[in-house]
Amino acid sequence: MNAYARMKFYCDEGRCIECNGCSVACDEAHELPVGISRRKVVTVNDGVPGKEFSLSVACMHCTDAPCEQVCPVHCFYIREDGIVLHDKEICIGCGYCLYACPFGAPQFPQDGAFGTKGVMDKCTMCAGGPEETNSAKERELYGQNRLAEGKVPVCAAMCSTKALLVGDEESVSKIYRERVMARGKGVQSAPYGWDIAYGNK
Amino acid sequence: MTNHLGDIQNAKAIIIFGANPAVNHPVGFQHFLKAKERNNAKIIVVDPRFTRTAAKADHYVRIRPGTDIPFMYGMLHLIFKHGWQDENFIKDRVYGMDDVMQEAKKWTPEKVEEVTGVPASQLIQVTRLYASSRPGTLIWAMGLTQHSIGSSNTRMAPILQLALGNMGEEGGGCNILRGHDNVQGATDMCCLSHTLPGYYGLSDGAWKYFAKQWGVDYEWLKGRFKDKKWMNAKGFTLARWYAGVLAGKPGEDNIHNAGTNIKALVVMGNGITSIAQQAKVKEALDNLELIVLADPFVNEAAVLTDKKDNIFLLPAATQFETSGSVTATNRSAQWRSKVVDPLYESKPDQEIMFELAKRLGFYDELTRGMLMGIDEETAQPKQVKKSFKWPEDATDEIARIIKTIGLTGWTAERLKKHQENWHMFDQVSLRGYGPMKGEYYGLPWPCWTETHSGSPVLYDIHRPVKEGGMGFRNRFGLEHDGVNLLAGPHSAPVGSKVDGGYPEITAENIEKVLGITLTPEEKKKIGKNWKVDASGIIAKKCMEAGIAPYGNAKARAKVWNFPDPIPLHREPLHSPRPDLVKKYHTYPDKPNHYRVDTKYASIQDAKDWSKEFPINLVTGRLVNMNGAGAETRSSKYLAKLSPEMYADINPDLAARHGIRDGEMMWVHSPEGAKIKVKAHYTYSVSPDRIFLPMHFAGHFQGEDLSAKYPEGTRPYAVGESANTVTNYGYDIVTQIPETKGGLCRIEKA
Repeated sequence: MNAYARMKFYCDEGRCIECNGCSVACDEAHELPVGISRRKVVTVNDGVPGKEFSLSVACMHCTDAPCEQVCPVHCFYIREDGIVLHDKEICIGCGYCLYACPFGAPQFPQDGAFGTKGVMDKCTMCAGGPEETNSAKERELYGQNRLAEGKVPVCAAMCSTKALLVGDEESVSKIYRERVMARGKGVQSAPYGWDIAYGNK
Repeated sequence: MTNHLGDIQNAKAIIIFGANPAVNHPVGFQHFLKAKERNNAKIIVVDPRFTRTAAKADHYVRIRPGTDIPFMYGMLHLIFKHGWQDENFIKDRVYGMDDVMQEAKKWTPEKVEEVTGVPASQLIQVTRLYASSRPGTLIWAMGLTQHSIGSSNTRMAPILQLALGNMGEEGGGCNILRGHDNVQGATDMCCLSHTLPGYYGLSDGAWKYFAKQWGVDYEWLKGRFKDKKWMNAKGFTLARWYAGVLAGKPGEDNIHNAGTNIKALVVMGNGITSIAQQAKVKEALDNLELIVLADPFVNEAAVLTDKKDNIFLLPAATQFETSGSVTATNRSAQWRSKVVDPLYESKPDQEIMFELAKRLGFYDELTRGMLMGIDEETAQPKQVKKSFKWPEDATDEIARIIKTIGLTGWTAERLKKHQENWHMFDQVSLRGYGPMKGEYYGLPWPCWTETHSGSPVLYDIHRPVKEGGMGFRNRFGLEHDGVNLLAGPHSAPVGSKVDGGYPEITAENIEKVLGITLTPEEKKKIGKNWKVDASGIIAKKCMEAGIAPYGNAKARAKVWNFPDPIPLHREPLHSPRPDLVKKYHTYPDKPNHYRVDTKYASIQDAKDWSKEFPINLVTGRLVNMNGAGAETRSSKYLAKLSPEMYADINPDLAARHGIRDGEMMWVHSPEGAKIKVKAHYTYSVSPDRIFLPMHFAGHFQGEDLSAKYPEGTRPYAVGESANTVTNYGYDIVTQIPETKGGLCRIEKA
């Protein structure tokens, strides 16, 4: 058993309604430049009955994070709880991580169509960066460090339907399991499984 | 709402007409999703476009705009044909269902398909599902109301619920989702032109009751009007105030306003650029002598008009800079605390009104109601203090005066206690626990007395009156055409001294109905009826006897005083189906409709509008925007989600007009107005209609008005207002504009 919890994101496509509460909360909490979207909500098959669904996407804080593996200057570091962070003072803005990322998470400040790219910015799971915890410099470079304050990442806290979950994997899986169990079952009038085991009587 | 958002989790089926809660009520929508997840509830969405709500539904029904009545009659046709109706409920608790049954006979699934565009097989499928999954809740919003037959639509939906016995049940009811912060409270206080607060109307009796309770002389009130006739006359509505300015100009509707036009306009936080007939609104603004706009942001009326002088922008404070009670969509109150003092020179709305009243010389009369109380001896109102405390004394004044909807229990003290203890209430039932046991969160009205629990589910006879139970209100007499209007046997709320129906309680009938004897002292104090009984004796005795003060009657499926006693389908004024217009003709023109002569048949019959304007036009909201959008478009993070005005258009329709995705297009209205917007390809709309979001302003008929904003106030996102091209057309009873189902023409820009 791990000494630390493994932090994960999960977005429930049965619940996500593309309200963008998560992305606006993220923009607002970290006071991001308008061109940067650490979190986005994507709707697939817009307007097609039976096929449309929405998902909120940001850095998933992968195991064996591809970004970390391709970074030529080794600016990434992975916390014991699985959160993938990077050091903006080492990052050279080369964009390799964006090519490696399966979720399109890394963001680069844009200054016009041919403007220079700045250093990479991405979701920190509201865990700040390598600077001193909750220092002004950390906030300036990486936004709020809510985890250090004992708060849930702002996106999930703001999610209007609780589609977006974040936390240690055990808690997230527990909620997910409860939803899957409940889905399509209706209000239970007998202990779970009795109808199968003992019939309706 | 007859029920409340949490209660939707108790539903077995949810049918949604003309509402898009996933977009307009995203937080409330979690209850819909939980009903689906935990209660296996089936969600049916009936809408002209495939919305985000539809994406979460089990069944999506694509309906032609303005044909909800045929669809619901089609459901009733099948319900009655197969005997799925709740016979006992109809017999004991509904008046006039026979007439509905007769009309429903005409609406076979094939005929419904012909008018609504919904395949007969799909109608049968969803009706069977909805009728067999009870309780079922019926949801609606502006998509059902904003039609020339909007008032009939809003009656048709309850009739469907009554037929299935879905009223007064947890998980059932008619649940109308209100769209703005405290809009239910504003309605209950009747910020309207046809009634005094609490829906008391404009009769002499109502004015005299309020004069007494406000501690002002009735004669003085009367003297404020040109003459007494205007005291009892309905005023202009928000939808048609412009006609009050423009009357007399060629082609404009006549008005009945004591021989004068409207000359001044004061707007307090209303985005009047989100009202239909924007071009007329602009012309009216240009012709006013005085415009006062009180708003935390620049009200874009100031940008729209070409008027140069006598326009005043008053900086109003936001909700974070003031406190008091607001009313939620489910009739419950919530106390709100001030977070910061008003910034800079801004003032809360009440202070702006107080200052205005001072200048106009009636500040004392305006505020005296807050100094009044009830004399113990006589049970009459009298002045009990010299100064008032805002907002507590205003809240207590409302509680003291408004009996019609049962606000007696809404004292400031109780509402604050609910706010402080909101963790002590269950989300699904609203029941309090611990110290809050015996009360429902926010004391949903009616909250008959200062110790009443509040009523989370209207018309619920499964719980005693003192715990929120009640039948339907006895409001329209005891009988009509020889039929008893009171509820039948065994349909009184549990724990009632009376078994069946009973009339509304008055001083005259209280002893007989309740089976009690009043003391001489009580007889002296008691008011004439439950609506004006300042003594509180009627409410108190009723609670003891388990009787709802407003009576226990049948719900009216047939409203004999409406233009259509039972709802009838009538095509929109601008219909894409000229073949159906003759058969389902609109109303004759209506003179003096809220002071304006309003056109119906003369527009519908003027020509075949669909020849020149063949495309249906629907408007609606975006999740990141609110109302006319001045506030939300001024937030950079919200604006970036929809930085430009656009039209949702099916690629098939767009391609026929040579319009590519992302290109500009013109939308023309039958009234001759036009807007230039970006085409946004989507399959959510079918090729016979387009959708426009309603939150933009700052462009007008192709012209960018950005330069007209005061320096530094232009929102991040500006664009054409959809309501520049929404059509002429107003509801026959309420005058709400017909923005959901007009016509337009499009072309490549």
